[in-house]
Amino acid sequence: MKLFLLLCFIIFSQLVFAQTRVSGKVTDTNNNPLPGANIFIKDSYDGISSALDGKFDFTTEEEGDVILIVSFIGYKQVELPLTLTGKKIELEITLEEEAKVLGAVVISAGAFEASDENKAVILRPLDIVTTGAEADIYSALETMPGTQQVGEAEGLFVRGGSAAETKTIVDEMIVQNPFYSSVPDIPSRSRFSPFLFKGTVFSTGGYSAQYGQALSSVLVLKTQDLAPDTRTAINLMALGLGAAHTQRWENTSLAFEGGYYNLGPYFEVQKQRTEWKKAPESFEGSLNLRQKAGGTGMLKAFASHSYSELSLFSPNLNDLTIKDFFKMTSNNFFFNTNYRDILGEDWAVFGGYSFSTDNDNIGLTTDHVTQNEQLHTGKVTITKNVTANSFLTFGGEFQNIIYKDVFNGFQFMQNELYLGGYIETDIFFTNDFAARIGVRAEHSKLINKYNFAPRLSLAYRLGQYDQLNFAYGQFYQTPTRDFLVYTQDFDFEKAAHYIFNYQYIGGNRTFRIEAYYKDYDKLARGTVYTYPYFNLPVIPFSSTGSGYAKGIDIFWRDSETFEFTDYWLSYSFLDTKREFKNYPSIASPTFATPHTFSVVLKRWVQSITTSVGITYSFATGRPYFNPNNPEFLGDRGKNYNNMSLNVSYLTTLFDSFTIIFFSVDNLIGYNNVYGYRYSDNGKLRMPVLSPALRSAFIGMFISLGKAYPF
Amino acid sequence: MKSLSIFVLFILITSSLYADDEKYTKAMKKNISQIDSAATVEEIINTANKFERIALAEKDKWLPYYYASFMYTLASYSETLNEKKDAYLDYADKFVITADSLEQNNSEIYTLKGMIAQARMQIDPMNRWMKYGSIADNAFKRAIELNSLNPRPHYLVGVGLFYTPEQFGGGKAAAKPHLEKSFQNFNEYKLENDLLPNWGKNMVEALLKEIE
Repeated sequence: MKLFLLLCFIIFSQLVFAQTRVSGKVTDTNNNPLPGANIFIKDSYDGISSALDGKFDFTTEEEGDVILIVSFIGYKQVELPLTLTGKKIELEITLEEEAKVLGAVVISAGAFEASDENKAVILRPLDIVTTGAEADIYSALETMPGTQQVGEAEGLFVRGGSAAETKTIVDEMIVQNPFYSSVPDIPSRSRFSPFLFKGTVFSTGGYSAQYGQALSSVLVLKTQDLAPDTRTAINLMALGLGAAHTQRWENTSLAFEGGYYNLGPYFEVQKQRTEWKKAPESFEGSLNLRQKAGGTGMLKAFASHSYSELSLFSPNLNDLTIKDFFKMTSNNFFFNTNYRDILGEDWAVFGGYSFSTDNDNIGLTTDHVTQNEQLHTGKVTITKNVTANSFLTFGGEFQNIIYKDVFNGFQFMQNELYLGGYIETDIFFTNDFAARIGVRAEHSKLINKYNFAPRLSLAYRLGQYDQLNFAYGQFYQTPTRDFLVYTQDFDFEKAAHYIFNYQYIGGNRTFRIEAYYKDYDKLARGTVYTYPYFNLPVIPFSSTGSGYAKGIDIFWRDSETFEFTDYWLSYSFLDTKREFKNYPSIASPTFATPHTFSVVLKRWVQSITTSVGITYSFATGRPYFNPNNPEFLGDRGKNYNNMSLNVSYLTTLFDSFTIIFFSVDNLIGYNNVYGYRYSDNGKLRMPVLSPALRSAFIGMFISLGKAYPF
Repeated sequence: MKSLSIFVLFILITSSLYADDEKYTKAMKKNISQIDSAATVEEIINTANKFERIALAEKDKWLPYYYASFMYTLASYSETLNEKKDAYLDYADKFVITADSLEQNNSEIYTLKGMIAQARMQIDPMNRWMKYGSIADNAFKRAIELNSLNPRPHYLVGVGLFYTPEQFGGGKAAAKPHLEKSFQNFNEYKLENDLLPNWGKNMVEALLKEIE
């Protein structure tokens, strides 16, 4: 009987359950309804999605103390304790946006980013390859505002700065020589293939305290992670041939690459203005290892070696009956290894070491020079989440630069040890307002000086797609070696940046306008034998140079208005003067011009699976030195015009995915003059020109055995 | 008396266990039946939310995570804004990773991983095919390796080829054998229980019709 009662009770209690009705509305912090939010009782099936007006209404059979969860994409989840008694519950729920999600403010003053991972970026990795004629990182970036068109030298000349003021950073570590050794007045290519990198940040000023030794600009390159699959590729070019094989295992990938390039046959076909004795010829090889460790660790190692040879004649303006001879053989080795990991919830660590050695053996008409430069560098960076809305980054680096120079038997050596440390914090005060505050301290053994550089960057979001940015920072750089050879009695060269920017990135349209002021101080001065400024007073060595640069950079990109067509426009206005090196007075330097304009247009033609890109650049004439003009650098060169074309045809040949690439630089054949060289008496002059009026490139890149790219 | 009480206890326990399982099956069946009728992004997200609720309450069952992920992948196809598409696929990724940790080496889960990569690629094919193309390719290969009778990876490989230009080895002719293999599998494949993924047959038929 007792048992029967018990049974009745159990069955009864299972049948009669209380139902509670829960209803209400979900809104964001601006009181806009949020449809599609998931509202439910934790550990039960009971719940509902909010309707178009944000309202919800459901009943639950749960009883007692429960937790109500409200979640929605891009918003912070809300957990609400409720007591369910059968009485109706009415709720007003406000969801707060998650920090750092799409649409949240991004610290971006001064920087152009190309990445697949971040969504709010200005460039895509592919843009680097399909812009300009050369498929070269640096020439693609010359279509960004803030850069100058300097046809006779390699490197990025940013906002009135010289190429030496821009540093290239690969996986957090500085690269001493990102270009092949160059010949005077002929720019050399970058040594790194754009395909090595998954992300590029090109900062034209106001960058993070993580980077030093650059007065104007940093180019931060992040290498690829594990290769996606095993593949073999063959490259056939008019200039040479190459092959690559990548092997992919579960947690490891290893790639070999080799190439041989000889410009000789091409120079036979394409008439050269430069009188080559031996056209550039080079051998290259590289090894690239990726190893995943644990769940979150990634070990990378990259090594490359190249050997190149060339020689040429150039006219001697002081005696037209003879020609100057120049011959160079170069050996370059580069190694970079690093490890990155996430420890626990809040810590991320990075450690890296890089070594490079560059050997140039130069034979001149009467002189012989060998140059060897070695760099050992190491860096450690630690990032810690401090609160949900802030994180701290700190670390240190060393650079040991050993330079050896033998000039006709006279040996010269230099050993620099540079140490840098930094600490920086990123704080998201709200979803609309963020700050990055940092300091960097540096020491150079050679000049025996310290510096202390504060950096600040602020970002304020105006609407869903646009924001205002401000950046300020002090930047230091050790004077270049050509000065330190004579005396080490120098201070760090210094620049202060002030940047104000408005940026709109919405859908497929980007607009950016940035105004800046740059104040140069303590620039190295002095007369160095390599400068062609004769008849000028000899300037004693000192750190008394100074200058300024101010201007406006404008960028517009649109891939939406015209179908299959993507274009961008950039314009830079620059006003800069400086007194440095052996300048007898303050003047606009030879690498700066007031107006620079570029248009890049890309179109994908589906019917012939071909991508066509056209790049047009214009720049007003740059100052050049004329010994007959009493005003120093008072002459201005011709305006610069260049239109280049690149065409990529994608197809399948012999069951292998193939890209046929064709490009022409200076399509219209505009005769650009980059300046003039004068004879010692100032009576004769010779224009500085590119080695050929036009240059063309044709190549075929084949992925063996992969019929389709997917 | 004692044996009776044990018997009652046994009934009570098994019935409550059975009731739990029945509740899960019933809720899943009901939600699965709604997948096809969810057409707008809102309806798809609502269905995803339902699977997510079950997933979070059950915790150790892979299927609700699988379906939540699948619904978010579908949502990305129906969405028009690229930024939102990626946000939906971030969710799809999150759920499929949990499903994979609960049920390892499952052909359906690898198929879904491939499908998510395909959806990522479609957002910006020019820039993304190198990365996501091979992720999708590898996931489908693995899915077929794990269960060659599964019709869905064959279908998705076929779809990928169907929309790839002929110059790259795609096109209708290249897609056809994969779609036919998928169709054949759909006819031969026996579902072990009706909660398991069973989508795609009508889509294969529609594509095959378009080819002929």
